[in-house]
Amino acid sequence: MTFLDVRDLSVHAGTTAVVRDVSLRLEESQTYTLLGETGSGKSLLAQAIMGNLPAGLRSSGSITVFGETSTADETVKRRRLWGHSMALLPQEPWLALDPTMRVLSQVAETYQRVRRPSESRESARKRATGDFLTLGLEGAERKLPGALSGGMAQRTAFAAVRSGGARLLIVDEPTKGLDAGLRDSIVSMLKQVAANDGAVLTITHDVAAARSLGGTIGVMLDGEIVEQGPAAQVLAEPRHDYTRRLLAADPQTWGPRTQPPPLGPVLAANGLSKRFGHHQLFANLDIEIAADERFAVIGPSGSGKTTLGGMLLGLVPPDSGSVWRRSDVPAWKFQKLYQDPIAAFAPRASLRTSLRDVVSRHNLGWKEVEKWLDRTRLRASLLDRLPDQVSSGELQRIALVRVLLLRPVLLVADEPTSRLDPITQQETIELLAECLVDAGCALVLVTHDPAIAGSLASRVLTLNPPSPPAP
Amino acid sequence: MTVARLFLRRLVQALLVSLMVSTLSFFMMRALPGDAAMRVAAARYGHDLVTARAADAVRAELKLDRPVASALFSWWGDVLRLNLGTSAVTAAPVVDEVSHQLGYTIRLALASMGIALLFGLVLGVLCGLWPGSVFDQAWRALAAAIRAVPPFILGLLLIVAFSVEISALPAAGTMDSTSLVLPALTLAVGLSAGLIRVTRDALKSVTESGYFAFARTKGLSLNQALLRHALRNAAAPVTAYLSVQLVFLIEGVVAVETLFAWPGIGHALVHAIYARDVPMIQGTVMAMALLFVCLSALADFAILAIDPRRR
Amino acid sequence: MTTSSAFKPMTRWQWAGLAILALTALFSLVAPVVGGDPLVQDLDHVMVKPSAASPLGTDHLGRSMLARLGHAARLSLLLAALSVLTAAIPGAVLGVAAAWRSRWTDTMLSTIADGVLALPGLLLIVLLTAFAPGRFWPFYVGLSLALWVEYFRVVRASAQSLLRGPQVEASRLLGFGPAYIVRRHLLPELFPLLRTLMTFGAATSVLSLAALGLVGVGLRPPTPELGTMMIELLPHYQEAPWLIAEPILILLFAVTGLALVAGEREFR
Repeated sequence: MTFLDVRDLSVHAGTTAVVRDVSLRLEESQTYTLLGETGSGKSLLAQAIMGNLPAGLRSSGSITVFGETSTADETVKRRRLWGHSMALLPQEPWLALDPTMRVLSQVAETYQRVRRPSESRESARKRATGDFLTLGLEGAERKLPGALSGGMAQRTAFAAVRSGGARLLIVDEPTKGLDAGLRDSIVSMLKQVAANDGAVLTITHDVAAARSLGGTIGVMLDGEIVEQGPAAQVLAEPRHDYTRRLLAADPQTWGPRTQPPPLGPVLAANGLSKRFGHHQLFANLDIEIAADERFAVIGPSGSGKTTLGGMLLGLVPPDSGSVWRRSDVPAWKFQKLYQDPIAAFAPRASLRTSLRDVVSRHNLGWKEVEKWLDRTRLRASLLDRLPDQVSSGELQRIALVRVLLLRPVLLVADEPTSRLDPITQQETIELLAECLVDAGCALVLVTHDPAIAGSLASRVLTLNPPSPPAP
Repeated sequence: MTVARLFLRRLVQALLVSLMVSTLSFFMMRALPGDAAMRVAAARYGHDLVTARAADAVRAELKLDRPVASALFSWWGDVLRLNLGTSAVTAAPVVDEVSHQLGYTIRLALASMGIALLFGLVLGVLCGLWPGSVFDQAWRALAAAIRAVPPFILGLLLIVAFSVEISALPAAGTMDSTSLVLPALTLAVGLSAGLIRVTRDALKSVTESGYFAFARTKGLSLNQALLRHALRNAAAPVTAYLSVQLVFLIEGVVAVETLFAWPGIGHALVHAIYARDVPMIQGTVMAMALLFVCLSALADFAILAIDPRRR
Repeated sequence: MTTSSAFKPMTRWQWAGLAILALTALFSLVAPVVGGDPLVQDLDHVMVKPSAASPLGTDHLGRSMLARLGHAARLSLLLAALSVLTAAIPGAVLGVAAAWRSRWTDTMLSTIADGVLALPGLLLIVLLTAFAPGRFWPFYVGLSLALWVEYFRVVRASAQSLLRGPQVEASRLLGFGPAYIVRRHLLPELFPLLRTLMTFGAATSVLSLAALGLVGVGLRPPTPELGTMMIELLPHYQEAPWLIAEPILILLFAVTGLALVAGEREFR
């Protein structure tokens, strides 16, 4: 049976078409993955299908859900299907949970009030508790969303959405902000939904997730579907140029890079350990990093890798152990790149001003800046803007320039590309690797993606996930 | 913040403020011109009958004959045991006078809060549910205009409008329920103007939030989503706002009680200042400050009860 | 990690408020000069209507309303400016100190601030006026003491989150010292906050002075002050309604101007 049939769906913002003539079909037990980057219109497409586009946008085309056809703008008709027939799992699920209501209730209330036939209060709670057990959320029932980790919030939202009983599930960026291990678990949950008489429409930029999901893939660029077909085929033999670039940007397809020859040590750490609350993050860690070396630290969220990076730079004191850094160079030769580049700049100073500050503090010439701007393929005119007026990818490159001006000997890059689209991510990692070779700088890359780590680094340190707290 | 810690914090505040007020009053007693002891004695025994011996006895009572340090400690001791002396005007024990007046002030405070909550919350919710509508914009503009008018001017205007013009509601005089209307209304109008705005903003931000949208898309009806998710989340900032407004309430009480001759603590304070009645000044200021701390504590507990994140 | 709001240009409401304030300030500078002596009584020309000779009329003792209002406005604005500055500068400095220095400094300062908060500002001022009834200094001292706490708390909260955040961490790593951090990170964030607080504080000062004048514990007559003028002129409301309207309007004007400049944040 066809669960969802979309024909010539378009979404307009004023006179501009942000989604253009999209057609797709989703049959029972199938998965369809819409693959595209930020700005491709994929989230708007999902909202148009559901019927909750933001105000100011118009839609046209026809949408048939479980055999019931409506024009795209007849949203009231589709709204009646919400929860018990058709459901949406939104991006960043930790924002979708009521911060002041205990999580079990947020799942139980859907059993009680939305599902058809509806459950009584007691049986709703029983079923919700059962779901928590199945999803590995045991013990979290009475918690508030703020106390949950990203992965747990994801699973809670998933449970809340499923408890309505909907068989058609639309999922928006399920792997955003999650590390590799969690990505796999959410993908398998989605596949199970499809297997159990459901159907899933997934919207994502994560090529690895698309690969895992299988089913049908539609590649979206600038509001249009540029290529569509069975997953295996599209991934193995992409026909459209953009699809090829997107696939090439998946770190799993990168080969290992050539490593520079090893030199003397620039940093050595002995017996590092750190405790966070009840978790022992790591203990008795010994690390030695040679100049020019590329070293990666991987682990899931909460494993302490950012803390470890901070420790190596002397920003965070270890509970025990010590860190030695080359003493013949000033402290500012050890630098850091931040996960969220915008947080690392003074928000009210133009980028030119911030760079000038560094230039005058260290008695450099502006020529140095120009050289690195050239190297990172940045237009000088960008510098006159404020940090929030520049894209994340560009800002991260400017942050890189700022750091390279100091000719550092060691750079700790803390998840430098996790917030970026795949193609931008690939470009940024390339640049990072090249520039560091030019500058003769060692790299400590902190990441949750083993593929990136494996491709870039000569040695990888894996941190274990924090042991679950005692109940 | 647990209940115990909150309670402790307010207790410490209460002690600190009592200490501050009593210290200031102590030095005031010694700084003011004229013989304070003689005045208190004269009030107690009558101006014609007061003797030097009686004045000396009072002087000892007020510790004016002792050196500053020991007198100050002794003064604090008295205050902590709720021995606030006797009024320099009526010779009655300060504690008795103040407790009597406190009753009036609490009635005024409750009446004002009641009116403000009724009016402000209802209008705020209505505005918040239809943000941007004509209704919303009109009430917001009105509320903003009223907010700019301080309570004592509002009180003046109300006196002028209702009493002198219409002679319907009394401005001052008898202490029954009708004479409570104008002073309560004066305070309530300012309070509700702010409340409308805050309630509206809180409700609007909640209905525009991700979790509200999710509650709807997972299938809850509008009413269900509002009752189960919006109300509690909007109540938190509204309660926080109300606790901040307590300062406004206590300060407004002074002006409003004086204007309308409502015999509460604020009124008594002003008269005590005219009469340089230091024991009464100390008593009334302390009563108001402690009332403020109490109400703040109640607000703390209310917030704790509403917002589970705080526990 | 939240970033601070981008620098917002003044809205037209804020410009309007600034214009109103400028007018009030102008009035307070010009009127006392033009209006003559505010204390001179002229019992032959009592409660004269506004005319060319006396632009705002005369009060029940024949004194020029123009002169009295001008002096009263000047007094209020001066007191507001003085007490706000006296409160803001130490308050902000202590706030930064509490955020930057040891936990002990922070705890100590915060406890003191908490204690002061327990006593509503107006009560503190009233208590101080009892020391020296009718004099100027209790208002100035009382207002400053009541106001500084807010600057302290707001600055402390803002500075704390900044100093612990990646912005400042990055600058420290790049080799910048405390002076740079204050200049490039703290001050640009604090200025808008302080600006808003200072305008609110000024409005509070003006209102507090008038409120106390109204209930009779303000500055001693014959010193012209808006609140005392209101209570003096109230009995004559029916014969000469414009008289009591004048100080009320000036007060509302000044406060509205300040509230508009301060912006959208909730007043009080």
